[in-house]
Amino acid sequence: MMKSRVLWTLAAVFLAAANLAGQEGAAVNGYARTKAGALLEDASLFLSETTLDLRLSYRSGDAGFFANPVLYEREGQTEEPVLREAYMDFRGESFDLRLGKQQIIWGKGDGVFITDIVSPKDLSRFLVPDFEEIRGAVTGACLDLYLGSHALELVWLPAFTPGTAPAAGSLWAPALPFPVTPTFESVVSPGFSLDNGEYFARYSFLGESFDLALMGGWFWNDTPGYTVTDKTFVPGVGITALTVRPEYYRTAAAGYAASGAMGPVILKSEGAFYGLRRYQGNPMIYPDGYAEKYSLQYMAGADASAAGFTFGIQFIQDLILDHDPDLVDPELKTTMTFVATRTFLRDTLTAEVFTYMGLDPLNALVKPKVTWDATDALEFFLGAYLFLGDEGDFGRYDSNDGVYLGAKFSF
Amino acid sequence: MNAHANRVLILTATLFAAVALHAAEPSGTEIMQAVYDRPQGKDVQGTLTMTLVDSKGKERVRSLRQVTGTFASGEKKLMVFLGPADVRGTSFMNWSYEEAGRSDDQWIYLPALKRVKRISSEGRGDSFMGSDFTYDDLGDRHPSEDEHRVTGSESIAGEDCWIVESVPRDPKDLYSRTVTWVSKKTMVGVKREYYDHRGALLKTLTISKLESISGVWVILKTEMRNVQKNTSTRIEFSEVKVNSGIPEDEFTERAMTRGL
Repeated sequence: MMKSRVLWTLAAVFLAAANLAGQEGAAVNGYARTKAGALLEDASLFLSETTLDLRLSYRSGDAGFFANPVLYEREGQTEEPVLREAYMDFRGESFDLRLGKQQIIWGKGDGVFITDIVSPKDLSRFLVPDFEEIRGAVTGACLDLYLGSHALELVWLPAFTPGTAPAAGSLWAPALPFPVTPTFESVVSPGFSLDNGEYFARYSFLGESFDLALMGGWFWNDTPGYTVTDKTFVPGVGITALTVRPEYYRTAAAGYAASGAMGPVILKSEGAFYGLRRYQGNPMIYPDGYAEKYSLQYMAGADASAAGFTFGIQFIQDLILDHDPDLVDPELKTTMTFVATRTFLRDTLTAEVFTYMGLDPLNALVKPKVTWDATDALEFFLGAYLFLGDEGDFGRYDSNDGVYLGAKFSF
Repeated sequence: MNAHANRVLILTATLFAAVALHAAEPSGTEIMQAVYDRPQGKDVQGTLTMTLVDSKGKERVRSLRQVTGTFASGEKKLMVFLGPADVRGTSFMNWSYEEAGRSDDQWIYLPALKRVKRISSEGRGDSFMGSDFTYDDLGDRHPSEDEHRVTGSESIAGEDCWIVESVPRDPKDLYSRTVTWVSKKTMVGVKREYYDHRGALLKTLTISKLESISGVWVILKTEMRNVQKNTSTRIEFSEVKVNSGIPEDEFTERAMTRGL
């Protein structure tokens, strides 16, 4: 049944694409990609994926339409088609209006999401996929108002789109913040109601020597908090049973993002103050299993080019205000990122390494990748992700080190 | 008075000074200043097709839409890539300034990441899109950066030219010297040789098509040949429009994200 539905969808998409391709103002682009990956620990194949990513666009004067349907085959199973984006837009003299499912990306950082609070993240495979695949889309209206180099973006999302967490039992399932494996009740999500809308605003300026953005939002947290609804405590033993209810909850954030040139170096920074968010703690101390705390996240970084290389470094800190020692998360978490890129052979060969490094405890994720453009359309790539350390955000996946290779045809 | 009017005035003054002070021949510096001050048009737009040819003769083609405008603050340029497919929609914006020594502001927009990012403008000696041109080769080099002298005259494709040798004042410059054939009629450098730091010829630039559009000399076909690597890059500029009145607020983040 599902296979039949996928085939019909595929046929419909191709017919639409073929029809569009013949029309003035229409464009059909995209790529086909296949890749396979193996774990270094036991050489087991954990990734076998083929993707067809279509970008269909049609523009008639000031109005336009864009759709990005994606079809995946993973581990030999054809999955449901994904509509990554589908929106229509209208371009006025000094404004743009976009309606529908769309990605809205904010912030100046690379691989960090401090002020990138509108579109949810797909962390089903942690931070291993390319960043463009980690970002999800939201459904709503986005209005941009322009005055010279100044812009004001207003976003209204009537429907909440949660982030995607790693599936339980998968390679990337995180350790749960509970003393025993809990029983999960059904997830409590905001209903489809105008009362449950999300609202975001951003002012941005791009100018001589520096760029600035100020943003804010009132929204649902993309990951749920877990409310303890029942627990069994045995004196002398501790908690022996726990029932929790995952609940999405409202929060707010306000922040900034800035970048500027200082000689050969680009300096950049972003930071945000977050409203009350739920942090899991000891269920014997916190009856609901969590405490609500304000928090700060900030980043300072620099990019530079020298001797044909492009380098980048970022220093990031997460600070929970009024922290309690019985919370699972530490009061302060420090992470650094490093990136170095170099092209060779007239830009046909690109070597890149991106590294996340947690400082307490010392642990890291290193993502080297080499891409070779065999032709203008066809590229081959080979990469790895190496987790260093035994604990921490990255070290906990130490046994998941892997390599992958593949090919991508763009059209 | 805007930068364009300034340049025209300086050009006129320079040529008058050249005639008055040196009835015979202008100096190398005067010629290169006149080349630099040649009217460029208030704005120029067109489609740029770049063909990269490797040492085995295999060709790769890149194409982009380019808009350049001259304003009171300096020159602004926006390039949006049309092909190949994997870079389609990528855009690049550059703001350069008249102030000596002031670095350019540059941004890149990658459609896959949906984000405009400020980038460093210091890699001017790096290859432009894998071609035989560096970013510096494609820009306007200020004459004060080199010492110039006239080494002779020669006719190229029926065009009388001065031959001007330019040696960078900064010994760490990308080239040890360049030699430019400057047309006496159009004040356009129609051929240039670039020498490496061993003194050997590295690259040769030739212009094969030059046209006056709305009173401005525009280079329509040019080729850079790396004689040491036996590679070359051809650039063709088509659908050219000059002085069509492009406003300064076309050079914004909005234009980068939606294309030209």
